[in-house]
Amino acid sequence: MVQEREYYLTEQGLIRLKAEYQHLRKLKSAKITGEVPKVWHSEDLNPEYLSFQEDVGFLEARLTDLEKVLRTAKLIKTPPKTKRDMINLGATVAVEVDGNIDEFTIVGSLEANPSLGKISNESPVGKALLGRRIGDEVIISSPIQVLYKVKKIRYSS
Amino acid sequence: MKNILNFLLDIGRLKGKERRGWLLHEIKKSESTAEHMFRTALLAWILGKEKGGLNWERLLKMALIHDICEVYAFDATPYDPLLPKSLKKRKKIREILKKWPKFSLFQKQKRELAKYKDELKGLEKLISHLPSGLKTEIKGLWLDYENGLTKEGRFVKQVDKVENYLQGIEYWKKQGKIQYKLWKRWSREIIDDPILLKFIKTIDQKFFANISSKK
Repeated sequence: MVQEREYYLTEQGLIRLKAEYQHLRKLKSAKITGEVPKVWHSEDLNPEYLSFQEDVGFLEARLTDLEKVLRTAKLIKTPPKTKRDMINLGATVAVEVDGNIDEFTIVGSLEANPSLGKISNESPVGKALLGRRIGDEVIISSPIQVLYKVKKIRYSS
Repeated sequence: MKNILNFLLDIGRLKGKERRGWLLHEIKKSESTAEHMFRTALLAWILGKEKGGLNWERLLKMALIHDICEVYAFDATPYDPLLPKSLKKRKKIREILKKWPKFSLFQKQKRELAKYKDELKGLEKLISHLPSGLKTEIKGLWLDYENGLTKEGRFVKQVDKVENYLQGIEYWKKQGKIQYKLWKRWSREIIDDPILLKFIKTIDQKFFANISSKK
């Protein structure tokens, strides 16, 4: 049997996805019974997702995806104080690269958005930084070497 | 049919619209947005087949429409906030392009939100006169691509970056105007799909075979 992939999510991300799943299920039931859906007035939902209301294929695809994600979701927990000097999932890290300081948060693949400074723990850089401490140097060879020096590590709570 | 024709005439403008990022890099005869979407669709199909478990119809349609908002939306680049008002200041722009654009997390979020709103507005204008079923489908596919709502959306989002990377490395090889080290670094931070990482490794083996692995 093929093992299902696990999705690491922040607490905020997990709450958001659970709420979205509940809303979409209500919408699906409403569509089946022909009711006018009243589930779209929640502030939790992005109003642009109204497309779900009209596009059944899109609604089904998103529901299937959410079911799979929520079934295998793993919550990213803030490590105890004694272990916050080490980079773990959920850490916001300042690194020195090519003489410049850059900052990003390491998240699970599902919440990764490099344009927003969130990089995936499954990307080569994210993977290499996990478990590192301040002062550690990480070399990414690909084949050109890029050196990342860890300058700061912080957790949101 | 008239509204569909008008939509296709609008889309046709992307055939000749050179991508702004390459213009900033002074690439000669650079690709258009339509050309980028064409190869993104091919990449999504071929590498998606390697990956497996994807809805083909959804995948290909998404790749074909992912940048159509640029008929009306601004073709933003990560360097924009740093650029001088006049793009004639070539010397200054060349200096800016030598370094990785650095912003705080707050600045990154603010810029992305503005870009998203502008592109959504552009898309809505472009599809506004289409029959409602088609309009809803295109908007749904675009929202999926932008927000990574399904596995197809998340895959095409990364395929788009891989196509961009491949094109950048091709321009570097032919015209030498690309800071390939920055592009390399970028690719290692943004891609996490195993199939796409394997493909990037293949690109690197082809284009960087004669480059030392030292810094």
